[in-house]
Amino acid sequence: MTPRRTAATWRSRRRSRRLGGLAIDLLIALFALAPIIWGLSTSLKPARDVLAYPPQLLPSQPTLEHYALLLRTGIHHFIVNSALVSVLTVVLSIVIGSLAAYALARLSFRGRSTLMFTTVALMSIPLPSVLVPTFMLMANIKMTNNLLGLAALYTAYQLPIVVWLLYGYFSSLPVELERAAMIDGCTRLQTLRRIVLPLSGPGLIAAGLFVLTFAWNDFVVAVVMMSSEDVKTLPVAIYGYLGFYGRDWGPLTAAAMVSIVPVILVFVAFQRYFLSGMTGGGVKG
Amino acid sequence: MSPDKSITASTATPVPWRPTAKARPNRSHESTAFAFLLPLVALEFMLVVVPLALAFYYSLFRVDYFELTSFRGFGNYVTVLTSPMVLKAVVSTIVFAAGSLVLTLGVGFALALKFEADTRTSVAMRSIVLIPYVISMLVGSLLLRWLYSSDGGLSSMALSSVGMGDFSILADPNAAMAALVSNAVWRDSAFAMILLLAGLKSIPLELHAAARVDGASAWMRFHRITLPMLRIPILIAVVRLLIHFVNVLTFALVLTGGGPNNATQTMGLALYRLGFVDFQLGEANALATLVFLFNIALIACNLALFKQRKSP
Repeated sequence: MTPRRTAATWRSRRRSRRLGGLAIDLLIALFALAPIIWGLSTSLKPARDVLAYPPQLLPSQPTLEHYALLLRTGIHHFIVNSALVSVLTVVLSIVIGSLAAYALARLSFRGRSTLMFTTVALMSIPLPSVLVPTFMLMANIKMTNNLLGLAALYTAYQLPIVVWLLYGYFSSLPVELERAAMIDGCTRLQTLRRIVLPLSGPGLIAAGLFVLTFAWNDFVVAVVMMSSEDVKTLPVAIYGYLGFYGRDWGPLTAAAMVSIVPVILVFVAFQRYFLSGMTGGGVKG
Repeated sequence: MSPDKSITASTATPVPWRPTAKARPNRSHESTAFAFLLPLVALEFMLVVVPLALAFYYSLFRVDYFELTSFRGFGNYVTVLTSPMVLKAVVSTIVFAAGSLVLTLGVGFALALKFEADTRTSVAMRSIVLIPYVISMLVGSLLLRWLYSSDGGLSSMALSSVGMGDFSILADPNAAMAALVSNAVWRDSAFAMILLLAGLKSIPLELHAAARVDGASAWMRFHRITLPMLRIPILIAVVRLLIHFVNVLTFALVLTGGGPNNATQTMGLALYRLGFVDFQLGEANALATLVFLFNIALIACNLALFKQRKSP
């Protein structure tokens, strides 16, 4: 066997292995995305084709009629509610979270390690197990069916991870700039606002996006707290459609797409920020 | 006068800028820290700690639509613990959590090994498999319900190719439980993958290279290097997934509705129904307290692992 031939076989074997790897990748992607693609396809089919058998994999006559129906029945109100709650939650948790994270990263005080420990413990509290008592509390203080009340709850649930992420980020910043600012007469608060926060872009984005998607996606807390029509968030409205439209899957899948498309776009654009939120680790700027 | 005296004093005595184990608390630090931490502590206390305390308090009473009517002591606990509905939910939860844990971890591990390298394909594939995790849990379960529903045609078509065209997945107790587990695996495998990837990346490449030089097979290297080095990340994934699977409500509520015949009613759903459908708030709070005590054990494991990871 000549060396040339060996190299050629080796190369062709490598190419076939790469093709095999590609096939496996495609299969994995199909498993991950099939329910979403099938839902997207359904949402674009005219009503008479939705329940057709055998099913059309792709809509033969794509139409936006289900999306139009959702708009006529006022889905935009729920979108606005969701957006309001999400933005409010992000603002609240970034403001409260950066104050706390700064104190933990730069100040020494009694009970600091206890507080860090409690923060980590609060991170893993499973929400469904606290819904009943939380609802009783919120009903007692008349904060159910209130967008601000819902945002406050989301903030309380997301603050531990926000504090942890920002703490990691703030601790990694060089302290000299802050020292200089304080010698120039800045208070701690001014130092945080003028020096630390402007340097913490990636950390703030990671924390903010994590909170934003949580608030936009949450269903279990919202379905319990928000029962009146004018304050429902998008996921609660979609759950309502499930009862209302029943087997009418055209509008149902269209509403599903309205909820997930923005999240997927944001996720694809800011992937690495999401990962740091999931592992609770720091982001490299 | 400078608002922060530690600055003017810092020329004379060094002030701890970064708190260290030895640093002694400093009075001006303490008052600033108190002000900075107050919003966090107040919010967490009011919206997380108070509800948990309330749950225990309410669980001792008969509650008729938010009115505490009569003191029952531990009567609600007895009612809950002897209720066939709760016991059935415990069994369903164990089946669901065990099945989901094994499969999610297995699939997540396989994905982590497959997409460990930072090539362009691997990075893209990681984001693709993460999409089911980042979208709303409600919508994910809704889309799976449509995929599995016998109305949709897609599952019927697939089943008729094996001669089971009339079989309805969500109407059969065992198949519905399998569907519920598949929902968990579909959504959370990528989460397990991310937790394990972080661990895989921290294994020094030299270890594998040295083992290869010594003639260790791929299986030997996996068994003797990868697995032992990943002990903590694997345990972290196990505990975090368990906390999630034991409590999750959305999968069962949306995909199967707990049915058929309550076969897939897991603990999260049982708790939700007891409180917000049946309005048995005294009993619901008793069950919530019991579930929370169980969670505390899991959370304690999580904390212990967290400490180990932070101080290797």
